[in-house]
Amino acid sequence: MRPADIAGTALGNTMRSKTRTFLTVIAIVIGAFTLTLTSGLGAGINKYVDSMVSGFGEVNQVFVMPGVDASAQMPGSTGPQEYEPGKAQATGEFGMSMLTEDDIATIGQVEHVTNVDPIVFVAAEYLQTAEGEQFTLDSLGLPAETSGLELAAGEAPDREAMELTVPESWLEAFGTEDPEAVLGQTVTIGIRDLTQEVHTVDAEIVGVSQAAISGVGGSPMPSNALNEELYALQTSGLEVDQPQAYVQAVADVEDLAAHEQDVKAALSEEGLMAMTVEDQLGVVTGIIDTVTWVLNGFALIALLAASFGIVNTLLMSVQERTREIGLMKALGMSGGKVFGLFSMEAVMLGIMGSVIGVGLGIVVGLVGNAALVNGPLSGVAGLSLFAVDPVSIGLIVLLILAIAFLAGTMPAARAAKKDPIEALRYE
Amino acid sequence: MSAPVLETENLVKVYGRGESRFDALKGLTFGIQQGESVAIVGKSGSGKSTLMHLLALLDEPTAGVVAMNGRPVSQLKPAQVSELRNDTFGFVFQQFFLNANQTVLENVILPLKIAGVGKAERKRRGMEVLEQLDMADKAGNRATDLSGGQKQRACIARALVNGPSVLFADEPTGNLDTATGEVVEDILFGLHRDRGITLVIVTHDDDLAARCQRRLLMQDGMIIADDSGEAVRSAGAGVGQPSRQGSRRVGGPGRHAAPVVVDGRGPDTGQGNDGNQGNDGNPEGQA
Repeated sequence: MRPADIAGTALGNTMRSKTRTFLTVIAIVIGAFTLTLTSGLGAGINKYVDSMVSGFGEVNQVFVMPGVDASAQMPGSTGPQEYEPGKAQATGEFGMSMLTEDDIATIGQVEHVTNVDPIVFVAAEYLQTAEGEQFTLDSLGLPAETSGLELAAGEAPDREAMELTVPESWLEAFGTEDPEAVLGQTVTIGIRDLTQEVHTVDAEIVGVSQAAISGVGGSPMPSNALNEELYALQTSGLEVDQPQAYVQAVADVEDLAAHEQDVKAALSEEGLMAMTVEDQLGVVTGIIDTVTWVLNGFALIALLAASFGIVNTLLMSVQERTREIGLMKALGMSGGKVFGLFSMEAVMLGIMGSVIGVGLGIVVGLVGNAALVNGPLSGVAGLSLFAVDPVSIGLIVLLILAIAFLAGTMPAARAAKKDPIEALRYE
Repeated sequence: MSAPVLETENLVKVYGRGESRFDALKGLTFGIQQGESVAIVGKSGSGKSTLMHLLALLDEPTAGVVAMNGRPVSQLKPAQVSELRNDTFGFVFQQFFLNANQTVLENVILPLKIAGVGKAERKRRGMEVLEQLDMADKAGNRATDLSGGQKQRACIARALVNGPSVLFADEPTGNLDTATGEVVEDILFGLHRDRGITLVIVTHDDDLAARCQRRLLMQDGMIIADDSGEAVRSAGAGVGQPSRQGSRRVGGPGRHAAPVVVDGRGPDTGQGNDGNQGNDGNPEGQA
């Protein structure tokens, strides 16, 4: 029997008992659909993360934070520690180690590091537009994230100038919907010092940012110079010299791709930990991958259940067609070909289930993605929740065919073993 | 004289073992010449169906040899046996065994499909054989829509489609009324006469048996008469004795040097111990 005839006959045989085939295929469809959707979800979100990474462009920055010392981070896990002047200051509110001025200096001296800025959090009081309207401004973007900005208009704030960008959602504060209209306007930022006295700083709007899912661009983003000025005002007012402590610092590294490992190693020797943007997003990607695999696991369980449906269907089919099997064997069909015919029937069920399920999954995924991205989640620039990855789609189909074939082997072996005389006598 | 198309030597078939042991065939030796028409007759349980299954290579003997054209088939691999069946044999069954879901044509070309013949060629040969049997107009009908006689004609068409040299028919008229049965008989004997196809018919029907050139009468697993139009031999004649004169010994002469008693029962069942001589059919010998 030719392979094409085996395939054709197998397909014809599955069509004999349409209801049974339909029900068996539905079980496979559910598994294939879920698997397509979950893996597409993982692929889509990872694609978004990737596009965020590439959006940063050539980022020659590393984020530096104190090295993780697990025992030191768990209050109460160790006995009392001897007091060391200076070090005690370098512990933040949540028991986290923080960077001291010495650390910042150390980072600056590391080879290939061209510049280092400690990250400081500024909580301003208000932003006053040119018209004199005042708006609450309690969160400001971190200048270190400037390179991750997605701009709707204008450009990123210059490092040394007193400039800032505002998010698109702030346009209404300026009474306009056109991002270009606010460029060049001067705003006044009010900020309280430690004595609750309000100081003001003027800055120019140079760009309008779009909010990314990471939060970058979701609030007004000052330049480094503006941020430092605001921080200086925020911490002024008392005639006491406060030791500075920082959660993180951003170090500019020349040719990061080439020197990444050197810089990380050098900082590690100083008890500091450096992470690139990709490292940070890698953590996110890892979490997404884990969630995707857990969801895929559920889909695989559905497929496992479906495989027993295939076994059941084919066993019934073999039983019903005992005489036909006997006839085929009497007419010279070898046991191997009989096996091939029945396992091919299982594969046919797998093909039907996977094509329908994967097709349905892709359609639902794309439509759902379009509906969410253009609907409730339209505020997030460049978001994608579902992506069609041809390789994983191919793998899903292959996986289902393999499962179907495996499920078919037991009934097919049973059919192949039948004795033609016994089978022909079977009533 | 050329080698018989089918011959057997000391053919033994035993079902079950111990208490439930049943000796279906007790050492048969005979040959069927190319172009003969042979009826195997006997009561139910006489072993005639078992004999036909062994001749048609559907089953393996417990002991003894079936040879085709002088070549013992026990030497062949299962796949070769399957191919041989597909290639040289045609089967007509009492219960037709037509696939109800397929058209007459699809049923008829099943052996060609199994043999791996191309689609167009299958159809051409299928239609050709259906035309010969005046069934061409039913080619597209479902097999279930046919009358009994038409079903048997479709079955014969299926048996003929590969151009077999031997046609096995198991009670071909058993499910048909007398008139239809005669039509089917005419077709079978017409094929025998015109094409020289060897006919092996298992039947209860004396009229059908009478039309064959030769009748093997079976009783309790033995051939008690081999009637080729000559005098009917008495039931007491040695098992396989008559046909043995006309048949050659199967296999090489050296293999017959040491007679083997296969089941330790031979000498007291066969009136002549001829049937136990020259037995090379022990399982080791067949491998």
